[in-house]
Amino acid sequence: MAVASITQGGHDSHGEIDQLYIETRELRLQGFLLFLVSDCVLFSSFIFAYLYLRNSGQGWPPAGINRLDVAFAAVNSVVLFGSGATMHYALENWKHGNFMKFAWMLIFTIVLGVGFLCGQGYEYTNLIFHDHVSWWGSGIFGASFFTLTGMHGFHVFVGVCYLTVLLLQSAGGVYTKDKYFGLTAGTLYWHFVDVIWVVLFSIFYLL
Amino acid sequence: MAIAAAPHGGGIADHIHPEPQSFVRRYVFSIDHKIIGIQYIITGFVFFVLAGLLAETIRIQLMHANGGFVSPQTYNEVYSIHGSTMVWLVVIPLLTGGFGNLVFPLQIGARDVAFPWLNMLSYWIFPIAGLMLFSSFLMGAPTAGWTEYPPISLEGQAGTSMWAAAIFLVGVSSTLTGINFVVTIMKMRAPGMTFTRMPLFCWGQFATAPLLMIATTALAAALAALFMERQFGVPFFDPTKGGSPVLWQHMFWFYSHPAVYIMILPAFGIVSEVLPTFSRKPIFGYKLIAFSSMAIALAGFMVWAHHMFTSGLAPYLQLPFMVITFVIAVPTGIKIFSWTATLWGGKIHYTTAMLFAMGFLVLFTLGGITGIFLAAIPFDLHLHGTYFVVAHFHYVLVGGSLMGIFSGMYYWFPKMSGRLLSEKLGKWHFWLFFIGFNGTFLPMHWLGLEGMPRWVSTYDPQFQFWNQFASISSFVMTAGILLFFANILYSIRFGKVAGANPWGARTLEWQIPSPPHYYNFKHIPTVYGLPYDFSQPLPYRGLEDELNDTPPPVAAGAH
Amino acid sequence: MNLVTIEHIVAVAGGIVVAVVAFYALYKDWKTPGVENNVFRLMLLLLGVGAVIALLAGLGILGNFPAKAA
Repeated sequence: MAVASITQGGHDSHGEIDQLYIETRELRLQGFLLFLVSDCVLFSSFIFAYLYLRNSGQGWPPAGINRLDVAFAAVNSVVLFGSGATMHYALENWKHGNFMKFAWMLIFTIVLGVGFLCGQGYEYTNLIFHDHVSWWGSGIFGASFFTLTGMHGFHVFVGVCYLTVLLLQSAGGVYTKDKYFGLTAGTLYWHFVDVIWVVLFSIFYLL
Repeated sequence: MAIAAAPHGGGIADHIHPEPQSFVRRYVFSIDHKIIGIQYIITGFVFFVLAGLLAETIRIQLMHANGGFVSPQTYNEVYSIHGSTMVWLVVIPLLTGGFGNLVFPLQIGARDVAFPWLNMLSYWIFPIAGLMLFSSFLMGAPTAGWTEYPPISLEGQAGTSMWAAAIFLVGVSSTLTGINFVVTIMKMRAPGMTFTRMPLFCWGQFATAPLLMIATTALAAALAALFMERQFGVPFFDPTKGGSPVLWQHMFWFYSHPAVYIMILPAFGIVSEVLPTFSRKPIFGYKLIAFSSMAIALAGFMVWAHHMFTSGLAPYLQLPFMVITFVIAVPTGIKIFSWTATLWGGKIHYTTAMLFAMGFLVLFTLGGITGIFLAAIPFDLHLHGTYFVVAHFHYVLVGGSLMGIFSGMYYWFPKMSGRLLSEKLGKWHFWLFFIGFNGTFLPMHWLGLEGMPRWVSTYDPQFQFWNQFASISSFVMTAGILLFFANILYSIRFGKVAGANPWGARTLEWQIPSPPHYYNFKHIPTVYGLPYDFSQPLPYRGLEDELNDTPPPVAAGAH
Repeated sequence: MNLVTIEHIVAVAGGIVVAVVAFYALYKDWKTPGVENNVFRLMLLLLGVGAVIALLAGLGILGNFPAKAA
């Protein structure tokens, strides 16, 4: 049983902190943060492109296109933000040795992430088949909306896979109570995905 | 400051992997930063030869006012690929991946970069991307220059999408290298190697790596958008569908202006190593040179729109871009004056590396001055899209970056191979290259002032004399470059054995055997001061065993 | 009670819960040392702000546009 072996996480043979681990962890942490910075620049470039096109004097939303459905997107956003909160508590519980709670929190996070993806899929379906908006055929609206939210959705998808791998790894005893850099990185990544959505939600739905 | 502290007990510095024995793991899929650096250098020079052939195609075409050597279509393909290759496959990989990998981990006293596997990955992306770029010739290469402005690039041949994909991959490779270098310099310096004791080449890399990491990602976004628009018809840049061609220019130059600093800051670093070594004098203004690199890197993000003065920006936007561009001349000028002051009163050794470094000073200053001209809006409106611009960026890229690369090759070749390059061939190389270079690109200044446009395969007959002069001079330059390759092929076999420190240089990489051992240092040294204080004893402790027969450090066991 | 009303209610309730949790976590985490915790604090702050934004959107204060004829 996966959860049962998580609870033994802190007691394996190489649980001791050594200098090599401390230094390697610092390198990986910094490398991962820099990766997030460059990923952030990727999003920023597309956001710049979107705002630039939006302000190029054609009016927004462009003729023939409805406003996006704010209420549904707000619910979906709350789902994603909630997953950020559960992820935070998953890591907190791991730090304090509550491996069972950690596992449940992580599972919640994954479920909420999948829920967000389903919500986005529903929204896409509605837009494409009901409002007849498409990626290539709806001018700059379709281009910017589907590119940015699609890119974000892809990040969420990667994040869900990542967290699933982390769940299996922690069940398999890869991490210990003191050595859990993979979980830190996963939490950082998931928070990053959430925070990007704060920006995307604001500029696409509320502006 | 932790000078007295014992070198990290049981940390990364003591965790040595055994040297791989199989050929493939040693020389092909190597994770050793020195081998990867040499791989970058070899691959970069292969692409350099290809780009040089394209350049000669251009010059042969321009021998006559009516061209006739290649068709106008082919001519457009040739200069587009020439520019793309030189920027992304020659200068950037040679300066960052090549010299960066090879030299700076040695200079900061590390055993390798922070992420050796990532380093191998970023190398191997690079030749694949290069092959993709050249394969675009098979399906019709891009024709809109290395900048690929829409709408021409949207209507370009099928190879334009291949171009976008190839440059995207090079960008991924650059980004990974940038992350790797930042972490390495931040975290893996030897004990006592504070930031203000780092050799200036490391400062050059340290200023470049964040640019690689941040700016290149912005380019990736632009390329992805171009690719999507071409392949799937997603409108970003096509004005008939509501897109904006100027958007591409913003996204492209937001990368490509920092990219010109990516291409010059490491060359600044090389020159800052070569000049004090061969003047036998401490470098003048160490901190100023180091911090001005950072200032240039930072300001480089705020000037991109000076490439777009003719694109219809609002005047209130143009003015700050012009002013900030002028401001960049200040840190650059600080560097030029510091280097000149380093030479002043020194005991100058005219080795080939030194000649190239001094040539760099002259030519880069000229290119920098025309850069100031072009940053002035009224002047730029007049000369945008003429050969004056071509002259300007060849003075900074060939006269600056490429001279820096050659200087670095003559300087560090002994460290790579254990043998010196022939000085006699090297002097011939320098003089042929220097004279040929000026003969090729100096006339372009006045061709541009008289209004000869770029990107066109034919020209008005009144320009024929100086074009022929430039073409013939370019053959002289090519002859110099051929001598350089001959020199390498000759010296790697028959060159004089260099020994550990043929130049009497003082940075860390010269205190260990050439070529260095797999593990770089037997013991990680402790650093006590700047490396440039000639006449003082070396500021390192713990290097006593490097050049004798004491056994190497024990490997941490096979993993 | 139609679907849109339920959506509004869920957004408001969820927004309140997430904002409270995020800001409480931020408060608890305020003094934890370490590079990654600095990043976590920033992320939690933005997460809380995002939840408040979603809450305001659910209340109809933000993003409440008059219907436009298609």
